[in-house]
Amino acid sequence: MSAVASPSDTPRSGGGVHGVAEVGFAGAGPAPLRHLYQRDPMRVLFPAQPVAEPPLAALVTTSGGLVGGDRIDVSVSVDDGAAAVVAAQAAEKVYRSSGADCRIDIRLQAAAGTWLEWLPQETILFDRARLRRRVRIGQAAGARVLAGEFLVLGRIASGERMTRGLVREAWEVRRNGDLAWADALHVEDDLPAVLDHPAGFGGARAVACAVYAADDASARQPLARQLLADLPPGVRAGATVVNGVLVVRWLAERGDAVRTAFAAFWAGFRAEAAGLAAALPRLWHV
Amino acid sequence: MEAHRRTVRLMAWLGPSFPVGAYAYSHGIEYAVEAGLVRDRDTLATWVRGILGFGSARIDADLYREAWHAVHAGNADRLAAIADLGRALRGTCELAAESAAQGGAFRDTVAAAWDGVNPAGGRSAPVYPVSVAAAVAREGIPLRVGLAAYLHALAANLVSAGIRLVPLGQVAGQRVLAGLEDDVLAAAGGALARSLDDIGSSALVVDWTSMQHETQYTRLFRS
Repeated sequence: MSAVASPSDTPRSGGGVHGVAEVGFAGAGPAPLRHLYQRDPMRVLFPAQPVAEPPLAALVTTSGGLVGGDRIDVSVSVDDGAAAVVAAQAAEKVYRSSGADCRIDIRLQAAAGTWLEWLPQETILFDRARLRRRVRIGQAAGARVLAGEFLVLGRIASGERMTRGLVREAWEVRRNGDLAWADALHVEDDLPAVLDHPAGFGGARAVACAVYAADDASARQPLARQLLADLPPGVRAGATVVNGVLVVRWLAERGDAVRTAFAAFWAGFRAEAAGLAAALPRLWHV
Repeated sequence: MEAHRRTVRLMAWLGPSFPVGAYAYSHGIEYAVEAGLVRDRDTLATWVRGILGFGSARIDADLYREAWHAVHAGNADRLAAIADLGRALRGTCELAAESAAQGGAFRDTVAAAWDGVNPAGGRSAPVYPVSVAAAVAREGIPLRVGLAAYLHALAANLVSAGIRLVPLGQVAGQRVLAGLEDDVLAAAGGALARSLDDIGSSALVVDWTSMQHETQYTRLFRS
């Protein structure tokens, strides 16, 4: 390891911010926003969307990244037949921690007859970062939620590898209050032992997943498989249905390979499953 | 119940002849063999070691521990909550079916064949580790002993699937299993030191093989 630390290797002092973003959509009119609350370093923007696309809320982390001790709470609700896309404005960075965990809690609530997309960009974990992220989806029967997450372990573009730290990403889907599906990726301490293990990450440093929780989730498995049929080189991906929840995963050594495959899937899936444009919001490509 | 009877009962319930249908599940190894990820004794040992250390076994061990404590404390609500979590916490369709089917068969067989043992817990049949832990705790079998035995049985079944699929000889299989003794004990010890906040796994390639197995052309195993 280099003896000279770049500025971004140094944990930001004064960690322990608590950012909040709450956004609620209801109805299908021209102004479907019903609730908005934001607290630094979280900001919510509403970029214009093409005609026939649902309203878009773009989440921005104004601090430029998160450190150990930071906490972010995001809460999204869709009611009364609303459709909405909530997307990250940019990739998220989680810096090296001197011990404390960074916590990100995401709650997605969807009422009957709604469509909600939770579309992330990469979360890039620096070496020795400690992240505990939790995504909790609560839905009524008749709600459709397409949600993703995308992790890159280490600044792999500049050759950094994660050697230590914590990577935890937990999912929970509740249907009418009952737990339908849960998942928890948990890797801690000696990360290369898992990341390089053939049964672990198999050398992958970029992993993404998409979860489609809806009444027609099982029926969409053939679509998901079809959208995964033509993957970029070096990408392993698969789709399965557990307890009525469609789960898709991607693994690759390179972040850009996962990004390409993930974006192609997402665009194709929303087009077929919801009759929306076969495209991602512009901000995803900027 | 005296200690020797407990030992005999644990061996009966976790032995390969106990009819939970374990022989029908490969936990994705059938596809791992086709993909060349498991191809000989060493790669099989490495694969099973991963599942024990950070795969489904890590989740099973935590569920087992929580279920055992719930029964030990006489807390039926807690046991039902763990059973619900166990049913939900499965990476793929076939891994869910593997654990649910064995959990149900274990519960029903114990209830039907052993007088006075009531292993039931939760609304519907719990997944395999919860089903075993509930019965074992009611027999007064200590947590650490039963958990190590459960993890050994899990490893032995994966090795058994592996030697049929690679294929390898019986002695080679036992050499793999002998080499996994420390891993079994470490997996049990790790679970005893963990909290439910850290439940999870990271055998992403195993999950991937299990997803691929769903559409594998020639299949002998159900997972």
